[in-house]
Amino acid sequence: MTDAIANDPKRAELELLLPFYANGRISAADKARIEAALATDPELRQRLEIIRDDMAETTLLNESLGAPSPRALDRLMAGIEAEPRKLGLFATAKGGLMTRLGKLLAAQPPRRLAYAGAAACALIAIQGAALTGVAMRGGGFETASVPAASSERYVLLSFAADARAGDIASFFRRFDASVVDGPRSNGYFKVRVGDASLTPAQVDAIAARMKAEATIVSFVAPAP
Amino acid sequence: MHTESDDELVKRIAGGERLAMKVLFSRHQTRVYRFALRLLRDETMAEDVTGDVFMDLWRQASRFEGRASVTTWLLTIARNKSYSALRKRRDAGLDDDYAESIEDEADDPEVVLQKQDKGLAIRACLAKLSREHAEVIDLVYYHESSVEEVARIVGIPENTVKTRLFHARKNLGELLKTAGIDRGWP
Repeated sequence: MTDAIANDPKRAELELLLPFYANGRISAADKARIEAALATDPELRQRLEIIRDDMAETTLLNESLGAPSPRALDRLMAGIEAEPRKLGLFATAKGGLMTRLGKLLAAQPPRRLAYAGAAACALIAIQGAALTGVAMRGGGFETASVPAASSERYVLLSFAADARAGDIASFFRRFDASVVDGPRSNGYFKVRVGDASLTPAQVDAIAARMKAEATIVSFVAPAP
Repeated sequence: MHTESDDELVKRIAGGERLAMKVLFSRHQTRVYRFALRLLRDETMAEDVTGDVFMDLWRQASRFEGRASVTTWLLTIARNKSYSALRKRRDAGLDDDYAESIEDEADDPEVVLQKQDKGLAIRACLAKLSREHAEVIDLVYYHESSVEEVARIVGIPENTVKTRLFHARKNLGELLKTAGIDRGWP
């Protein structure tokens, strides 16, 4: 089948921008150009609908991927603790403490250096034990971002362009639902539909009932 | 309640503030992890890359100039580290053929279609896209990046972003058509 849009440079240029129109990341001038074209070009509108479908499914696919384990932050903070301090006392400028220390050590006979080295190792070991003790007493790092096992059930939805505020409010009351996130720039909301006692089949059923209210919602799917 | 911007947090991180690091990590870890996971298709590797990305942020925070957003910066590092990890895996003998075999374990679009769920079929086809196509689709459709941001993250000219995304969309449509879903394009 010939692609009429691809064969028309002006329409093809606008078509390339449609995904950015759909995700809301487009200049005001390009947005106005696209909206003017959409008003008179059904093929372009159909292409936009495909993009919106794919965008919703890409969102669901990514949302299903979960999150890093709670240990990730602990490991990161442990790595940071193991890093050298930023801009410490031992600045590397010429004549700094390390330079002077180097000169002092170079002037010492080998045996004295060996004793000094052993003493330094012992000191480091004592400091290490003390620091470890501090860290252990603290019980490790706090993980403010720990994603606890979800105790809620959600759907992802977008509202019909001509849905009225009163109908939307009534819709939320009927389903005992509430928005927990959104709108994202592509118009999707994450909506809580119940607690963890709902089975996936029940969430599917709720999503199907919501989807049936086409005058209010244009897209609904269970979300992780 | 005042919520600190990402830029403000990075300034504090540059000064060595660990609390700011924890806040920024909490804010962006999931985004970075998911982006890496879609490229790597391996949860352990994606988590390692996520940790490495934030460790780089800790080390390089003072060099952040604010020309791009913190999100773009993080995703750029995540992409570089993910491809580097893929190269190491290939050098270790676990090449892309291996990765593709993992990818093939996903539900086949035609099988999914038999379940009469178009959404599932689209997701199955999304999982079948090449990495090159999947990353631009994810960046625009999920991470809501602009043309300029995708160009910066992927390291390609802005016009290439648009044409690559076009081919990714077309390829997705062709995969769906093969699975029996004709959406009128391509």
